[in-house]
Amino acid sequence: MLWLYLHFPHLLLDHIRRSRESQGALAVVEGSGQKVIQACPEARAQGVRAGMRLRTAISLVPELGMVRADQQQEARILEDQARWLYRYAAHIVLVPPDGVLAEVGSLQRLYGGLAAVWQTVEQGLNERQLNAWIAIGHTPLAARLIARTGKGECTADKGHILRTLGQMSLLAAEFDDKTRARLQRIGLNTLSEVLALPPNELARRLSPETLAHVQKIQGNRADPQTPWQPPHYFRQQADFVQEIEQSQGLLFPLQRILSELEEDLCWRQQDTDSLFLILRHRHEEPTRLRIRTSGPEHRAEAFLNLIRLRLEQHPLRAPVTSLVLSVKRFLGREATTGQDLLGETQDLNEAWHTLISRLQARLGDSALRQLSPQADHRPERAWSASEVLRRHNIRLPDYTQLPRRPLWLLKGPQPLTETPPEWFSGPERISGGWWDGQRVHRDYYIAQLSTGQLAWVFRDVRDDWFVHGWFG
Amino acid sequence: MSEILNTLMQDARVWQGHQHTWTTQSAEPTGYQVLDNQLGGIGWPRGALSECLLDEPGIGELHLLLPLMQRLSHSGKTVFWLNPPHTPYAPALAREGVNLDQVVLINTEDEGDFLWTLENCLRSPVTGLVMAWPGKLAARKIRRLQLAAEAGSNVCVLFRERRYAEQNSPAALRLELAPGGQQDLRINVLKRRGSWPGQRCSLAMDHRADLAFQEAPRVVQGPWSGRAG
Repeated sequence: MLWLYLHFPHLLLDHIRRSRESQGALAVVEGSGQKVIQACPEARAQGVRAGMRLRTAISLVPELGMVRADQQQEARILEDQARWLYRYAAHIVLVPPDGVLAEVGSLQRLYGGLAAVWQTVEQGLNERQLNAWIAIGHTPLAARLIARTGKGECTADKGHILRTLGQMSLLAAEFDDKTRARLQRIGLNTLSEVLALPPNELARRLSPETLAHVQKIQGNRADPQTPWQPPHYFRQQADFVQEIEQSQGLLFPLQRILSELEEDLCWRQQDTDSLFLILRHRHEEPTRLRIRTSGPEHRAEAFLNLIRLRLEQHPLRAPVTSLVLSVKRFLGREATTGQDLLGETQDLNEAWHTLISRLQARLGDSALRQLSPQADHRPERAWSASEVLRRHNIRLPDYTQLPRRPLWLLKGPQPLTETPPEWFSGPERISGGWWDGQRVHRDYYIAQLSTGQLAWVFRDVRDDWFVHGWFG
Repeated sequence: MSEILNTLMQDARVWQGHQHTWTTQSAEPTGYQVLDNQLGGIGWPRGALSECLLDEPGIGELHLLLPLMQRLSHSGKTVFWLNPPHTPYAPALAREGVNLDQVVLINTEDEGDFLWTLENCLRSPVTGLVMAWPGKLAARKIRRLQLAAEAGSNVCVLFRERRYAEQNSPAALRLELAPGGQQDLRINVLKRRGSWPGQRCSLAMDHRADLAFQEAPRVVQGPWSGRAG
């Protein structure tokens, strides 16, 4: 087995930098806000170093952007990395706080050699603008140690790996302080000297744990790793150093997240029809937006257009500190229905969904309605309005048996204010609703008013006259 | 002299009568032969605005568009009703053979949304017909709609009040609708792109209430006591 280890020296910094449009100096500050833990290249160029006191750093770079380190956030970001790596490798292990381990021995044949695997991973890192130190080792621990010293090479040669390990100092080999002090007192300074000791002597003179550590590096002792499983949802977060006040400013980070979503959906061979967008504010409850498309969709462009429309309609309540985009609902991709030789059906279907989604995003879901007749004798209940859906009824029901009705129905009956000069038909008695308490008992007539309008009028039980529809 | 004439003839700024070619704008037949004849044998223009100017609903204005609605809804095109003044009655539409799966009703709150929605519908290839009741609308806004209509190739009919007949409008076809004596619909062509206006015709619309088989007008004297409301 061969292991590939990715060590992210400043993952949090990379994560924040890629959701920023402007590239200014940036530093990660430890939880208590006293010391700088990580500094970006711009900040380093101006003299900011890791371990520096925050006050010193600010006096060096007054406009320094600061981010407070947060363990939960780091764990989440690390998991994001495992998710894209999962596309290339099956067996992945998270090594918190800043490492990911992948088994690559079994991938060599798939990719055509170890060099190709290495290149694929490097390319993935470049696409995501991430800095990582990569190393290959014959054991998980060996790969990790080499990666953390930054001396990783693309080789499967065990002798070469052991030589690299041998040159490592005891500190880099991750012995604990006590063991390291004892080893140094014996007169050992590099790992190769420790590896050369007979194992039983090592266990007797030092401790069994030290022997276990050494054997795990060498590969003489089993070092089982629990594989990571990708979650069944998509979730991406962007954190901002400076709060974003205009919704326009959200589009840049969203664009990146949405293109990752598109990639993720393509890789899953799935579509989605609803996105959840959470905008976090500093002092207020987060804003939750649900963006829906009218049909299955996977294109980042389409999602971005809908979100843009939605944000134009709903201005931000407060400045945004971070945004989260999540997708929990996945739909299987339909095979293209090859009904049309020229593929026209598919295009029209897509255009229909695009149009309806756009309209719904701006006007709200309830602004669009589709009508259908209902089986009821009462005119106001003989129809219903429902949400817009793409329906393909090949065989339409036969409605020609329905009675003659006007094309316009008034929203409610209006009192008749004049005596119609001409009467045509009637009365048609409609009496019903005794079963649900909405009693209707009316005599309907068709009459022409003096304005020339053809009206559907009725007389109710109290002898009052109303107009209920127009024959448009 | 003839030299000057020749150079003048070659000048692109001089418009010559015999070179006038009839604009071949695409159109949808109205389904009423009488009206089609008055409209130069073509019907509703596609990719342009049409206006119907009328005072009150209930004079047969929907039946004017019904043949087009039937045809488009069965050929897979969507029919949009934008801000209708009353509810389009589903059982009646279904009885007339309109495929209700292709009918979408949209209500907008303000003028900005109205124009935006109409523009989006007009530009989409899925749209067959848009019927819109805009209320008050500045001529500048109608110009904007006309441009949107040109981007697509569907029929768009605006229903406006008759008092706007005085105002000019960039619409390609303007019809003034008025009720006739025998439940018919009198149509006055106010404007027609590429030809002269002023044609008048009358369409029989008594079938909209199944009155054709009756000896109209048969006065039903019965319950009416001369008291209204």
